[in-house]
Amino acid sequence: MPEQRAEDWAVTATGLIKRFEGKQVVGGVDLAVPRGAIYGVLGPNGAGKTTTLRMILGIIEPDEGYRTLLGCERPRDAGDRVGYLPEERGLYPAMKAREAIAFMGALRGLAWGEGRRRAADLLAQVGLAHAADEKIRKLSKGMAQLVQLLGSVVHRPDLIVLDEPFSGLDPVNQEKLEALILAERDRGATILFSTHVMAHAERLCDRLAIIAGGQRQFEGTVDDARATLPAQVHYQPRQPNPALAAQLPAGATPEGDGWRFAMPPDGIEPLLNRLIAAGHGIAGLTIERPTLHEAFVRIVGSVEDRRFADRKAAA
Amino acid sequence: MSPFRRALRQMLTIARRDFIATVFTPVFLLFLFAPALIGGMSTIGGLGAASMADGAADRARLVVIAPPPLAAILSREDARLRKLFRHDERPSTLSIVAPQPDPAAQARALMGEQGRDTDAVLYGPIDRPSILVPARSRLTGNYLEALAQATVSAGRPDAVVVSATRIAAPRPAVSLGGQHQSGFLAVFGIFFLTLFLAGQVVGTMAEERNNKVIEVLAAAVPLEAVFGGKLIGMFGVAVLFVAFWGTVLGQVAALIPPAIAADLGTLTPAVGGPAFAILFAAYFSMAYLLLGSVFLGIGAQASTMREIQMLSLPITLVQVGMFALASAAARLPNSLLARVAEIFPLSSPFAMAGRAANSPEIWPHLLALGWQALWVALFITVGARLFRRGVLQSGGGRPFWRRRPRDPISAA
Repeated sequence: MPEQRAEDWAVTATGLIKRFEGKQVVGGVDLAVPRGAIYGVLGPNGAGKTTTLRMILGIIEPDEGYRTLLGCERPRDAGDRVGYLPEERGLYPAMKAREAIAFMGALRGLAWGEGRRRAADLLAQVGLAHAADEKIRKLSKGMAQLVQLLGSVVHRPDLIVLDEPFSGLDPVNQEKLEALILAERDRGATILFSTHVMAHAERLCDRLAIIAGGQRQFEGTVDDARATLPAQVHYQPRQPNPALAAQLPAGATPEGDGWRFAMPPDGIEPLLNRLIAAGHGIAGLTIERPTLHEAFVRIVGSVEDRRFADRKAAA
Repeated sequence: MSPFRRALRQMLTIARRDFIATVFTPVFLLFLFAPALIGGMSTIGGLGAASMADGAADRARLVVIAPPPLAAILSREDARLRKLFRHDERPSTLSIVAPQPDPAAQARALMGEQGRDTDAVLYGPIDRPSILVPARSRLTGNYLEALAQATVSAGRPDAVVVSATRIAAPRPAVSLGGQHQSGFLAVFGIFFLTLFLAGQVVGTMAEERNNKVIEVLAAAVPLEAVFGGKLIGMFGVAVLFVAFWGTVLGQVAALIPPAIAADLGTLTPAVGGPAFAILFAAYFSMAYLLLGSVFLGIGAQASTMREIQMLSLPITLVQVGMFALASAAARLPNSLLARVAEIFPLSSPFAMAGRAANSPEIWPHLLALGWQALWVALFITVGARLFRRGVLQSGGGRPFWRRRPRDPISAA
């Protein structure tokens, strides 16, 4: 496996630990986000996703561990090349939409005039041109959220960090947001976002990490995550035959006119050969790959089960 | 871009936002014209109170029971003695009453007369008079005694009326009294302006906390720059306020009567007028920034408006305390107290403004301004760190000497 330097990654985190009032919220998270990727941080509520992102961005300091942001050991040094949409959205209510976007750009080093010009373009892109001179307090929650999102990309950052970007958005705006994320990736930006909605991660992520119990439980591609569970096979023989169960993998259960079982470790072909040779034939065969949702539930569920058992043992 | 330039740019971005958000609101007009409203109401109240006081004064009197031959001399001497008093300090009107068979009883009757206030009654022989006077009116009794003395002196056949020739003396270029007055006015002026303006800074972080904007700012900008920007923004508002009223008062100054203008001419700061004006502006700025940075740091810890309102009393007390310390220092230049007030950061701008009035050296002011600027930076840094730890709940991380070298990252 080749060794890469921190400069080669958009984000690296090694053993990040954070405690609030003695309670460990993040317990040693490692992350490595490749440049130019869309990277999802998935986890149930309270998993430590937001705290991890805040530590990576330098909003809070980790109690232990190290991180780099765009190759910089001090996140502030990369500040002008980063965009951030926090989980708790926040804008000045008296500011106009265009000014709010330009202001956020100005904080990251973009000249005000250029910021206003880009803001107008971005607002038009997401169909909010009519709201450019509206005060934030007059916008709907979804519109304000989009404005804030535009504020986090107006300076064309190399890294965009989005904390639960889809929460609170209706399906139309969610689609706009997905399109915006893909457009930013195509521009060359790295996108790191947290979510607990699997559908978005499944559609968008090049790689993802699953955090649960304050620790990273999985890291890889969506396919890797799905591969943590065996595919489900639905096999229908030519003739129903109760004796067939003995020839199927353990755990096979009858379903309709056929059987359902997990994909054998050596694949489906040897099994099918045996079944054909035994004269059962194949009337129907469906192989269902597990969804990310199922993989997530299994990974997170096993962590929760372990924690529950630990708590019970401690009690 | 260097970290300093970046921080400066971020500070100015935040300052610009705060300045515009504060100034371009209807409430700011109310704030800007507040002194006019307060002044107007004070004038109306003052006129009413003065009118009531004048009415009461019209009904008050001093009474001398004396035979008619003395009445003319008493009136003349009373008129002469009254010139020694300022208008508002003059004794009540003098009434001269002819004696009755029992002057003591007559005096008591006059004293108790309904419908008029009688401050004191003099009766008996003019060279050995008795004065009926309430215990609290000792000075009124003294005046009647002096009037009797003057009347006796003027009644003598060999009385001489002194008429002095007055020659206008050149005003000394520098007088100790003028310096002390200048010092006190400088201290009071800075105190008044900071009392009026610096307290506003205390609640400025509340907006960001309530709107959750602080998360956006904290991610984009070091908290020190956020604090610095907010302080500069509010200082800009204060400067606008001072410039506006400075211009207004400058125009009004042209209408000041010559006598009062001449009195103002006695204000002779030791460093000279122009340097004093520059130092006054510099020390006002530093006083604002010092107190503002402390108030900003404290106010940022408050999580509700109620907590911010509760802070207003201790904040006012701190300002009054600094004013008292600096006033005492201005009265006692070169004393140990003055040195303490000049060095203690929060009172330093006040005390150094007083020093500018009393001492001609300039170099201590350059030193003091640097010293004060250092403390502004320190207060901002401490305020930002407390905010980071207390509000953002961020630990300090490992100190640099405990950090181990970072391992190379293996490709995932």
